[in-house]
Amino acid sequence: MESILQVSALTGGYSPKRPVLHDISFEVKAGEMVGLIGLNGAGKSTTIKHILGLMKPQSGAVKVDGVTLEENTEQYRAAFAYVPESPVLFDELTVEEHLRLTGMAYSVAGNAYDDRVEDLIEQFQMTPKRKAFASHLSKGMKQKVMIMNALLAEPPLYIIDEPFLGLDPLGIRSLLERLVEVKQKGAAILMSSHILSTVEAYCDRFIVMHHGKIIALGTLADVRQAAGMETHSGSLEDAFYKLVTGGHS
Amino acid sequence: MGEDRTLETIWNRRSKAFRKETLPYFRYMGQSGFPAFMSLILISSAIGYISLIRNLPANFPITLVGVVSLLLVLSWSPLRTWLEAGDIVFMMPREAEMDSYLRRSFLHTSLGCSILAAIVILLYLPIYNQGPAVSGGWLLALAAAVLKAGNVWGAWRERQIAWPGMRRLMRLLRWAGTALLLAAWLTCLAWQAAVFTVLVGLLLFFIYRLPARHRFPWERLIEEEARTRKRYYVFFGLFIDVPTLPSSVAKRSYLTWLLGVIPYSNRNTFVYLFTAALLRTEMGGIILRLLFLGCLITYWFSEAVSLSGWGCIIVFAIFMGLIAVQLGGLRHVHRYSVWKHVYPLPEKQRVEQYVKVDRLAMVICAAVLWIFAELPLALSNVYLPSLTAGAILLVYMSIRPARLRKKMLADEDEE
Repeated sequence: MESILQVSALTGGYSPKRPVLHDISFEVKAGEMVGLIGLNGAGKSTTIKHILGLMKPQSGAVKVDGVTLEENTEQYRAAFAYVPESPVLFDELTVEEHLRLTGMAYSVAGNAYDDRVEDLIEQFQMTPKRKAFASHLSKGMKQKVMIMNALLAEPPLYIIDEPFLGLDPLGIRSLLERLVEVKQKGAAILMSSHILSTVEAYCDRFIVMHHGKIIALGTLADVRQAAGMETHSGSLEDAFYKLVTGGHS
Repeated sequence: MGEDRTLETIWNRRSKAFRKETLPYFRYMGQSGFPAFMSLILISSAIGYISLIRNLPANFPITLVGVVSLLLVLSWSPLRTWLEAGDIVFMMPREAEMDSYLRRSFLHTSLGCSILAAIVILLYLPIYNQGPAVSGGWLLALAAAVLKAGNVWGAWRERQIAWPGMRRLMRLLRWAGTALLLAAWLTCLAWQAAVFTVLVGLLLFFIYRLPARHRFPWERLIEEEARTRKRYYVFFGLFIDVPTLPSSVAKRSYLTWLLGVIPYSNRNTFVYLFTAALLRTEMGGIILRLLFLGCLITYWFSEAVSLSGWGCIIVFAIFMGLIAVQLGGLRHVHRYSVWKHVYPLPEKQRVEQYVKVDRLAMVICAAVLWIFAELPLALSNVYLPSLTAGAILLVYMSIRPARLRKKMLADEDEE
C-alpha cells in the first residue's frame, strides 16, 4: 500500500535546547486508520503540529503525499484535512458558508460539492442549524462542522485530534461510520484519542507515545508484545497501562 | 461586611486594571492628530452654537431639538461592570453579595452619564429660553434628573429580562416614553407634566413587572462588558495595532445575497472570506453607519449649496477618508487564523483578492455618497465641485491598491 504520511527521524519542539519529540518515525498508508495514543504531555499534539507544518522540525522530515511542506506547500496542504481538538471556526460564517469556503479552498467540484454537503448536513443532524453562525453553536456542533469540513474535502489523509470531545452519541457514530467509509475508499487516517476502547475497535495500527518517544508501534499484537503481554489476549488499555507505568500497578 | 469590602476591592482592582490597560492607547491617540482634529470640530461647533443662540431663526424647532438631544443623553444608560466570562465560575457563588459590587458600577457609570446630560441641558437652556419656556431651568433640570433615574432603573430591568425580543420591546417603550415625557416637560405646564410623568412612570413600572427575568443577568452583563471593551479597542485600532478581541457578528440578512453571487471557485476563496468579514463584523457596521451619516450630512450641505457647493465636497471627502481608514482594517482580519496554515488556501492570491474586495467596497461607498453630493447640486446647476471630487477620488482609487499591497507585504514581513 502507498504511504501517504511519512514521519522520519523527527526531533522537534518549541526550543532547540529542549526538544519535545525525540527521533520519532512512523508512516500511515492508504486505506488504514492509525491511532495515536499517549498520556497528556506525551507529545501527540506536538507531533500533529509538526505534520500540519505549524512547527519546524529540528531534524528529520515529514512528507505528506510524497512531498515536504517546503517542496510544495499547496500540494502538501491540499493532501490532508485536519480536525483539531478545539474547533476553530469563523464567527461571521454560517455552517453552510464554512462548507462552501472549504469546498473552494480544496477545489471540490461544484456537483460533488452539492451532493456531499447535503449528505453531510443530514448525516450529522445539522439541517436545523445550516444557517446558524458559528458563534451560536455549541462546542459539539462546532466540532461537527470541523468534521464535516474535513469529510467534504475527501483528501488522501485525515488528521483527527480528539474528535469525540463534546460530540453527542449520534455524532460519534456518524463520524466513525464515515471514517470507515473513507478508509475503505483508500484514505489514510491518523487519529489521536484517549478513548482507547474506540481506538482499539476502529484502528488498524497504533502508535504509543510516552515522554516524546514512540514506545510501541504496530498492530494490537505488536503493542501487547512491547508491553510484555501475551500477543493474543488483553485489551489496548491493559497494554497501554503497562507501557506507560512500566508494568507497575 | 468583610465580604462586602472584598467584592468592592475586586471592583476597584478591575477598574484600575482597565485604566492601566488603556492608558498607553490614550497616549498613542494623543500623539496622533486626533486631539487637534477634535479641537477643530469643537471650536467650529462652539462658533456655530454661539451664532445660533444669538440669531435663533424664528422657525427653529426648539421642542424637537430639545426632545432629541435630551432623549439621547437621558435614555442611554450603559453599565460598566468589568465582569468577564470566568466570573460565571468564580463570582457566581457570591451572587447574593453582588449588590454592593453593582452599586459601584451604577455610581461609576451614572456619574459620567449625568455629567454629559448636565452639559446638554446647559447647552439647550439658552435655546429653550428663547421659546415659550413654560418651566424654569431648575425645574427642567429636576425633571431631567428624575427621568435619568427612571431610565437607569428601566435599563437595569431590561438587562434582567430573560427574552431578547421582550428586552428590545421594553427598550423601545422606555425610549418612546421618555420622548413623550420630555415633550410634555418642554411644552406643558409643570403640574401637567408632573402628573403625566407619574402616570407614564407607573404604567412602565407595571409593564416591567410582566416579563420573566433573572435575578442577576450574568450572561447579559458579561456580553455588555465585552462589547464595551471591544468598542474601546475598535476606537484605539484607528491609531495603533490593538489586541484582537472576539469579534461580535451581525447577520445583516439584507446583505447576505452578496456572498451568494461570489463565484464558487478556488481563486475566490479569499474574496469570499474577506467579503463575509466585511459584511458581518463590527467593521462593516461602522462603515454602514458612516455611509448613512455621510449621505445625510452630504445631502444637507449639497441641498443648501453651502460654500458654492464646495461644502458638501469637504463633507464627502471627510466621510470617504473615514470609510477608507476603516476599510483598511480589513487586512488584519484573520491575519493570525489557523485556517491560513492548515487549509490549502490560495495564499499567493490573498493580497490580490483582498485588494479586489477593498476596491469594490470603496467604489460602492463612493458611488452612493457621490450621488447624494451630486444630485442636489446638479438640480441647482452646480457641477464643478462634484466633478472635481469625482476626479480626485479616481486618482486616489488608482493609487490605493499599490499602498494596500505595500502595507500587506510589510505586515507579512513583520510576521
